[in-house]
Amino acid sequence: MPPKKATSTSAAAAAAGTTSTFTPKKPSTKPSKNPVAMAYTRYIEDTPQRTKLLDAFLGFLVVVGVLQFVYCVIAGNYPFNAFLSGFSATVGQFVLTVSLRMQTNLANKGAFGEVSPERAFADFVFGSLILHFFCVHFIN
Amino acid sequence: MLSTTLLCGLLWLCAPLISAKSISGNRVLVVAEDPAIEGDYSQFLGDLEARGFVLDIKSPRAKDLALFVHEERSYDHAVFFPPTSKSYGNVLTAQNIAQFVDREGNVLILTSSSGTTDAVRDLATQLDIDLPPRDFIAVDHFNYDATSSPEKHDVVLIPRPTESEDSKNYFAGKPGEVIAFHGVGHSISNRPLLFPILSGSRTAYTYDSKEDEDGTAADAWAAGTQMQYITALQARNNARVTIAGSTKMFSDEYFEMTVKTPKGEELPVHNRDFAIQLTQWTFKEIGIVKTVAVRHYLTNQTDAEINPRMYRVKNDVTFEIELSEWKSSHWTPFSASWAPFTIPSTDTLQLDFTMLDPYYRVPLLPSSSTPTSTIFSASFRIPDQHGVFAFIVDYKRPFISYIEEKYTVTVRHFAHDEFTRSWDISGAWVWIAGIAVTVSAWVVFCALWLWSKPTVESEKKTQ
Repeated sequence: MPPKKATSTSAAAAAAGTTSTFTPKKPSTKPSKNPVAMAYTRYIEDTPQRTKLLDAFLGFLVVVGVLQFVYCVIAGNYPFNAFLSGFSATVGQFVLTVSLRMQTNLANKGAFGEVSPERAFADFVFGSLILHFFCVHFIN
Repeated sequence: MLSTTLLCGLLWLCAPLISAKSISGNRVLVVAEDPAIEGDYSQFLGDLEARGFVLDIKSPRAKDLALFVHEERSYDHAVFFPPTSKSYGNVLTAQNIAQFVDREGNVLILTSSSGTTDAVRDLATQLDIDLPPRDFIAVDHFNYDATSSPEKHDVVLIPRPTESEDSKNYFAGKPGEVIAFHGVGHSISNRPLLFPILSGSRTAYTYDSKEDEDGTAADAWAAGTQMQYITALQARNNARVTIAGSTKMFSDEYFEMTVKTPKGEELPVHNRDFAIQLTQWTFKEIGIVKTVAVRHYLTNQTDAEINPRMYRVKNDVTFEIELSEWKSSHWTPFSASWAPFTIPSTDTLQLDFTMLDPYYRVPLLPSSSTPTSTIFSASFRIPDQHGVFAFIVDYKRPFISYIEEKYTVTVRHFAHDEFTRSWDISGAWVWIAGIAVTVSAWVVFCALWLWSKPTVESEKKTQ
């Protein structure tokens, strides 16, 4: 990661230098920034738009799954097949979306060389349809 | 003459009691060896004839005496008077009489203290009634007739049974009426088919009159309330056998006598009314209940099939049984008809829904009545268990013919399309919503993905 960091700081410095006053950016010396905020800023700036869309969908699925699980804990799991069906819809969708993210992330291009993003998306849609079919029928 | 006119008057008063008709025929065999019986028991036999019975008085040794002709009963009822000789001959054996009862013949057996025949003693032993040997006599030193037996106290005064709220009692009279009895008492076992009709009072006992001259005894055959004077057995096929410990209580002499209690009170006896009631019951004129119809069907379905052979678990079922009682009509002599049957208020008619054990035992309550019957019904939900179940109604009470009905039905599982759908279960709504939310969010995501700018390679070049 250090070489990347160097290039990114130099790129940021170059960008900052072209606009206004020259202020060398040294993120490690600024007292108000902590690693979490740093990671968050880098995430916002560096991740492509589509990946952010994926991550938003993932976060939404987690929230829906947690809500269903909390209801199960409070009100019991009758009927059990309904609980499994609803919860596994969110969990399965989460897994499929994560695999789409892995396959379309440009950083993993070496691992998924022969899978184009369009092929990954098609697989994602196919898997999701099977998952939805199962869940609707399992809940009866 | 005066007494006979008085008795004719009594006969008119008794008309409501004697206008019943038996449901099992009117041919009565009267077994009497002594030819004087016709005269001495004229009122008893006359009352039977007045109710439409055809009497055939025969000696037990008559050559043409036969209980069965061509494998059929030649009589519907039989009255056995004690013989003058020691036995009934070889036609009326215990086995033949028992076979007569097996074929639903009704028998009234009168015994006396001058000994019972082997046939009757064997038959009584089969019925678990222990008759005493020869020369035993029943006495009661506190309830006797001071006029006819001032020293031996062997004419016993028995209070007539009273009406009861808890069970049907067809031998009841008004309180204070007495019956004069001269004979023996017997003891019975606790067999559920035996119904004691007249029991001894606490001060009565039966003892061997030869053993002790002054009316006391060391060993009583039976004593107190465990001694019965008249016992009846209603067999499983509803045939009735009554064994009475006294023959004299049915004689003209005892019908007409007036007794004097030890306290000096003079009372008329009610032997005649009691004899009428006893023969009415034994010869199946009263106490007859029949099942007219049984219906079971699904409760909340219009035009449901009656008595289907199969139900499903958790069906709502209604069961109805229609019962009629044979009753004489009070204004038309020689006729009787079926009438609605009522259960005593402290008793219930029960329905069992069983498979090896009763899963339900519910009371059958009278829901409606027709002019000739009462309809009892109960509703319940079939349990969550499949199998072969039976609706069982088992009502056995004293002095009423037994009601036993059993109807078998199959109870099946839910069919694959009869389970409750998920939207009908309120607990599943949250998860239905969860699936719906997931699927619609997925659709929105796919739309956004397809219409968004694809990730460009140029971003990598900057690195």
